[in-house]
Amino acid sequence: MKQDTWRIGDRVLTSRFFIGTGLFPNPYVQMEAIAASEAEVLTFAIRRVNLESAEDDSILQHVQGNDYIFLPNTSGARTAEEAVRIARLARASGLSDWVKVEISANERTLLPDPIETLKATETLVKEGFTVLPYISDDPIICKRLEEAGAAAIMPGAAPIGTGLGILNPYNIGLIVEEATVPVIVDAGLGTASDVTRAMELGVSGVLMNTPVAKAKDPVMMAEAMKRAIDAGRLAYLSGRMAKRRYASASSGYEQFKIQ
Amino acid sequence: MELIINGSERELEAETIADVIERLGLSGKPVVAEADGVVLTSEQWSGTKVAPGMKIELVHFVGGG
Repeated sequence: MKQDTWRIGDRVLTSRFFIGTGLFPNPYVQMEAIAASEAEVLTFAIRRVNLESAEDDSILQHVQGNDYIFLPNTSGARTAEEAVRIARLARASGLSDWVKVEISANERTLLPDPIETLKATETLVKEGFTVLPYISDDPIICKRLEEAGAAAIMPGAAPIGTGLGILNPYNIGLIVEEATVPVIVDAGLGTASDVTRAMELGVSGVLMNTPVAKAKDPVMMAEAMKRAIDAGRLAYLSGRMAKRRYASASSGYEQFKIQ
Repeated sequence: MELIINGSERELEAETIADVIERLGLSGKPVVAEADGVVLTSEQWSGTKVAPGMKIELVHFVGGG
């Protein structure tokens, strides 16, 4: 089989797994899980340096030296303006011009604010960022983000950190049908079957953090998720059989049945 | 001089952002600075003068999804 690569902006990707770097029990387990995932894209958040702690708590000390693509997010932003500021700070690191726009206006659901997300996407595209907005699973706003120049669209399966799986597969399927940029399911996946289902709907990739980091064995779960991505992708490419209401014998040879 | 760093007032001997980074023991670390709302690349630190009351943000990458 020809290698199944895909592309975001000018980067060719082999892995369809974007993995988050939060909530792992320790840096060692985190790095083992990242290795098991074979992810090429790692996500991060941007926060103030803790000036009271002399300890180097920078996550980058653990991932340096590897050829990852860094995808900083704008978590913590409540408005487009705040998200743009965080994105500029992230880019000034010199590590990446990719940004995951993440703007939540509700603490309980952390659901994305679509209007602010669109505004931030427009601004950041103009400033030359590779913009990957995290957005609701709404086909219309996803199309609007694509028209605004988003390099990929990242609809949520369910609210962040819930592990509820794909709440609206119909919408995710529609988003994929309509999109001309990659669709990445971001947030809400819980286990391997959720991931396979997402891939079977034809999405280009998945972004996960909590379901790996909060598994009892994060390294094994990273491996499971990787295989689930492969399984779902292959099933999608193969084209599943049509569903039927009634049984249909798989043995055939009707006229030679033993009477 | 009195500076507001990451939201807290702090007394520091510094002329430039590069001095601030050094005094705080952050030299060589992957931090990003913003001075009065202007995001700076590390090449701009030594050329950016600080002034009393300046609002400085020092941020870095942390774990996140």
